[in-house]
Amino acid sequence: MSTVDQPKGRTLVFNIMRYNPQVEGDKPKMVRYEVEETLGMTIFIALNHIRETREPSLLFDFVCRAGICGSCGMIINGRPDLACRTLTTKFPDGEITLMPLPAFKLIGDLSVDTGTFMRRVSERVGSWIHSEEAKNPNLNVLEERMDPDVADKIYELDRCIECGCCISACGTMRMRDSFLGARGFMSVARFQADPRDKRTDADWYEVLGDDDGIFGCMTLMGCEDTCPKDLPHQTKIAYLRRRMVKVK
Amino acid sequence: MKVLYTDSLVIGGGLAGLRVAIASKNRGLDTLVLSLIPAKRSHSAAAQGGMQASLANSVKSKDDNEDVHFADTVKGSDWGCDQKVARMFANTAPKAIRELATWGVPWSRVRKGDREVVINAERVTITEDAEDHGLITSRDFGGTKKWRTCYTADGTGHTMLYAMDNRAIEMGIPVHDRKEAIALIHEGDRCYGAIVRDLVTGELIAYVANATTMATGGYGRLYSISTNAIINEGMGAAITLETGKAPLGNMEAVQFHPTAIVPAGILTTEGCRGDGGLLRDVDGYRFMPDYEPDKKELASRDVVSRRMTEHIRKGKGVPSPYGPHLWLDITLLGREHIEKNLREVKEICEYFLGIDPAVDFIPVRPTQHYSMGGVRTTPKGESPGLKGLFSVGEASCWDMHGFNRLGGNSVAETAVAGMIVGEYVVDHCESQDVDIDIATVRKFLAREQANIDAVFERPEGESVWDIRNAMQTIMMEKVGIFRNGPDLEEAVEELKVLLTRSRSIKVAAPARGANPELEQALRVPRMLKLALCIAKGARDRTESRGAHSREDFPDRNDRDWLSRTLAVWANPDDLEPELTYETLDIMEMEMPPGSRGYGNAKAIEHPDTAKRVAQIEALKASMPDADRFQIQEALMPYELPEKYQGKNERSGVEYA
Amino acid sequence: MTSELDDEVRKSRMPARLDFWQSATGLLLALFMWTHLMLVSSILISKDAMLFVTRMMEGSTNPSEEAGYPIIVSILAVIVLIIFVVHAGLAMRKLPANWKQWRTMRSHVKMMKHGDTTQWWIQAITGFIMFFLGSAHIIIMATNADKIGPHQSADRFVSMGLWPLYFILLFAVELHGAIGMYRLIVKWGWFDGKDPVANRKRMKKLKMAISVFFLVLGLLSFAAYMRIGLQNKADGTVGIPYGGESGH
Ligand SMILES: Cc1cc2nc3c(=O)[nH]c(=O)nc-3n(C[C@H](O)[C@H](O)[C@H](O)COP(=O)(O)OP(=O)(O)OC[C@H]3O[C@@H](n4cnc5c(N)ncnc54)[C@H](O)[C@@H]3O)c2cc1C
Ligand code: HEM
Ligand code: HEM
Ligand code: SF4
Ligand code: F3S
Ligand code: FES
Repeated sequence: MSTVDQPKGRTLVFNIMRYNPQVEGDKPKMVRYEVEETLGMTIFIALNHIRETREPSLLFDFVCRAGICGSCGMIINGRPDLACRTLTTKFPDGEITLMPLPAFKLIGDLSVDTGTFMRRVSERVGSWIHSEEAKNPNLNVLEERMDPDVADKIYELDRCIECGCCISACGTMRMRDSFLGARGFMSVARFQADPRDKRTDADWYEVLGDDDGIFGCMTLMGCEDTCPKDLPHQTKIAYLRRRMVKVK
Repeated sequence: MKVLYTDSLVIGGGLAGLRVAIASKNRGLDTLVLSLIPAKRSHSAAAQGGMQASLANSVKSKDDNEDVHFADTVKGSDWGCDQKVARMFANTAPKAIRELATWGVPWSRVRKGDREVVINAERVTITEDAEDHGLITSRDFGGTKKWRTCYTADGTGHTMLYAMDNRAIEMGIPVHDRKEAIALIHEGDRCYGAIVRDLVTGELIAYVANATTMATGGYGRLYSISTNAIINEGMGAAITLETGKAPLGNMEAVQFHPTAIVPAGILTTEGCRGDGGLLRDVDGYRFMPDYEPDKKELASRDVVSRRMTEHIRKGKGVPSPYGPHLWLDITLLGREHIEKNLREVKEICEYFLGIDPAVDFIPVRPTQHYSMGGVRTTPKGESPGLKGLFSVGEASCWDMHGFNRLGGNSVAETAVAGMIVGEYVVDHCESQDVDIDIATVRKFLAREQANIDAVFERPEGESVWDIRNAMQTIMMEKVGIFRNGPDLEEAVEELKVLLTRSRSIKVAAPARGANPELEQALRVPRMLKLALCIAKGARDRTESRGAHSREDFPDRNDRDWLSRTLAVWANPDDLEPELTYETLDIMEMEMPPGSRGYGNAKAIEHPDTAKRVAQIEALKASMPDADRFQIQEALMPYELPEKYQGKNERSGVEYA
Repeated sequence: MTSELDDEVRKSRMPARLDFWQSATGLLLALFMWTHLMLVSSILISKDAMLFVTRMMEGSTNPSEEAGYPIIVSILAVIVLIIFVVHAGLAMRKLPANWKQWRTMRSHVKMMKHGDTTQWWIQAITGFIMFFLGSAHIIIMATNADKIGPHQSADRFVSMGLWPLYFILLFAVELHGAIGMYRLIVKWGWFDGKDPVANRKRMKKLKMAISVFFLVLGLLSFAAYMRIGLQNKADGTVGIPYGGESGH
């Protein structure tokens, strides 16, 4: 088991942005914490250790601590990533700098409000099956058939955990808050691929067809390169763009 | 004083809570959901393996139906469940899955033709009928007679929760997230909503409602090692307990999952074994067939977890700095299968263990996983102690799981209970008015505010982390998989000491708004009360049933213990709950107690069992021409909201 | 059929067209630039080769003997200028619109240290530079189409003192063009192949190679023009065409 072979006894240095906007007069600052590394240590473990032994007011968000709920996105040494599944052994020099995800409203320290943002994206995209059937299904009869490959394809796109990494990694998003962002594109791609959703390309154009949508994306690929769930941003954004320029 | 009014207040934005909210909104109620976190982050998203429903589409699930599902569920529960509820559940589960299919869950589908699967460590080819191509497929899970667990690869809970929340968004149901219910508002025998703390600003808000639904999930974090999310601290159950009126049911029934990784405690799905994975010991030896020749790795969870513990105790565990563990071997499934159907498992192995499960064994051990117990409700989902208080999902003891729940039955319960109880919530709201005195609201707000002020104002006091850690250790070591009288006695006494100490916790971090230490300080005393319900219930239950396994009382004892434990916390200053027992009447059971067909325990029989068996035989003999529905109806009639009473169509057999 | 009502409720198709033309003009310019550089570098073969090319571009029917019609080059320059201006106009919509956006983007680029994002930044800066230098150069070319040739061109480098312009422009255009072409490929999902992720990596390498190739070629030509220009200056033959290059 490889966790057993990990180096032991290193002293890790955490540089953490501390700022609580609710406390009057507080200003953002970087604070340094030293933590003894233990076997199999993740940033989740280290942050809890800091909170429980030294800094009870330290704010951060973890829920599943297993890389599946998307709560713990933060900037780890410059790049957005999930803190809970980042092993400290990943950093050979033992220096770890943590900042809250930009592009979201800061709650305090490493905690940001992704929920409000993601709900707005859902509402903008209409991230639900648009069909009459879904409104009033007959639950006693056999379900509608779906090709197994189509189901797999939808699942691929449904794996997004709304962690916000792609949003924070996107320069376009950072410059323009009104931009839909890669999460939105993935959501469109997901419902566009679903035969149960009856929306046409013209409908999708209403969602995507401007510089806050697909034509605003500058192909920076921060989304593709940071998405912890490896969603196919690169191909799907290109695909949507191709479809959308063709809409009459 | 901030007061918000709504018809249907749902506390919890997981699968169960959202489904109740949808049902409420659907019939025109003003509906509002509270959640600690954005709804899509709820722990329902973590369910990997799947959802049980007897669709019987795949070749390995042919001939499945409600009856088989019901029987598996009752056996799984070790006869501890409410059989009427299990019936309500089994009939509605196929509807739930079909509803979710129309709402967008990309269920994995049957593919016609030959397919290689691993059954009992051998590669076998099975052939799916072209007739069933494109219907929802299913996989094998522990304790089930048929392949009944429907899934989307291994992201089932995630896709279900997303579809459910998206539906809620479509309907415009507001979800107030980063809000924590810290007390229920109640007077007489009526619940009127909750006092809620805003986790960002620290403000206390009273949410006054006609119906309040507790859907707050499990309480795994009472234990030091758990597969649960770290927010699963049982606050819903705890604040219900603190009303002093609404009882909790079967709190000692705590499930341990056989295969969580070491040390992180993150779950690898039962689907690993369902798809053919094996358990191996320090010598690489497959030991389960020695213990369970019939179901082997796929006996029910409680049994497999105990067998693993037994085997480790024999010295066959793999030593590690975190204590001994065993191996889960899925290498034989092949890379392609793993990368497609067990992808999350693969990611977990890569990120948390640094191994490749297609070539390496996975270090696993049994870990706290599921809370069968919770807010006791009637089959309509309402608390017997407080009117207008409902509960669904893992937070509840609706009681279809009894003393052990089957894998895949939990997310199924959330959706199904949400559908059914949701209807009863609306019925309640349509028949009742809210007649609350605002002074009552004010009283509860003041009480909670005083409680918060106190932890700040103490000049010095206990550290909340110390108390929490001590509690988690006690629960893990003394109220774990195998239990015994002396340990449990100690656990109860030690927890009582901790509870006393927790009443003088001092919070060092001064912030009145977002303040994790304060949140813990408010939760830990409540968690201790739950811990005491579990420990005391386990201490007093001198038998072994399902997940509750006593070394000093290894047999199931139907004669004395065919009952449900009810815990009530009568006075706030008490140090332990009052326990009473609700008898399960064999004479009303469709399926009287018998053998589960796995596990080694014997049962001490109840005199009624033989009587009821004879009665059932006679009744069946008297109805030679009856179909299975008529027999069932005659044996044990049960209620369901009208819209869910219909029979379920199945491929090839229609409505038979 | 689109009615007036449609125009009221439907999203305009304009953003789609603008995005298309931004790419189309970029593509044309990039192709033009690569050709342009190959032509200009004919000086590396010999003065006669350069002269030959010049005459060919002027539409001479017998480029090794006689000159053509410089007006053709002027017209070409005007066409390129139009494409150039259109492209600049469209692409500039994407540049930071104000100081705040500029700062955010800059700190984002610094923080992320992410290839594609940094390259966009380079494109933005080089684009901005070209807006001034490039238009100046094209206008000079359009108005001095009759003064192109191994010696006169070289004199523009040295004696007219335009060498810094060319030097900067060379780097700007080569970086901008190659990155732009890479971006086009990713943006529209061309040549995705079986494994788009691997393909993107390949394209990135190819882009590097092309940048290096054209920069080296450009610098060598630059050196050649400088040498000739300095020679002319030393010889006192500035402004005198090579051979019969001004055959009018
Ligand atoms: C790792 C793992 C894997 C699993 N896999 C499976 C599986 O394959 N099949 C299966 O059937 N079951 C599985 N289960 C079990 C199943 O996932 C859960 O039992 C089920 O999802 C619980 O759903 P819920 O809606 O009851 O609660 P949750 O989804 O836990 O939701 C609880 C909600 O309550 C909110 N909440 C809690 N306290 C408060 C409060 N005080 N105030 C306000 N809001 C509050 C939370 O924010 C959250 O929104 C698994 C469980 C785990 C831990
Ligand atoms: C039709 C339009 C154009 C014509 C006819 C043209 C022609 C030329 C010629 C003849 C030269 C040699 C130097 C000289 O004579 O001054 C040259 C050099 C150069 N041109 Fe252009 N050009 C055009 C457009 C552009 C554009 C749009 C750019 C970039 C924005 C550009 C960038 C350069 C550069 C960088 C050099 C220097 C090459 C080197 O140093 O190797 N040109 N061009
Ligand atoms: C006035 C000068 C120019 C400016 C201001 C400019 C600016 C830009 C900018 C900001 C972009 C990025 C657009 C986006 O991200 O959506 C871009 C893209 C591009 N530019 Fe330019 N540019 C100029 C000249 C040129 C020239 C001379 C070439 C040819 C070599 C060129 C080729 C490209 C290409 C191929 C793209 C990619 C197109 C796309 O993404 O749609 N540009 N330009
Ligand atoms: S697309 Fe990827 S990065 Fe973006 S929110 Fe979803 S999971 Fe996170
Ligand atoms: S990072 Fe942003 S600009 Fe487009 S390619 Fe991704 S959304
Ligand atoms: S805590 Fe859930 S993804 Fe990290």
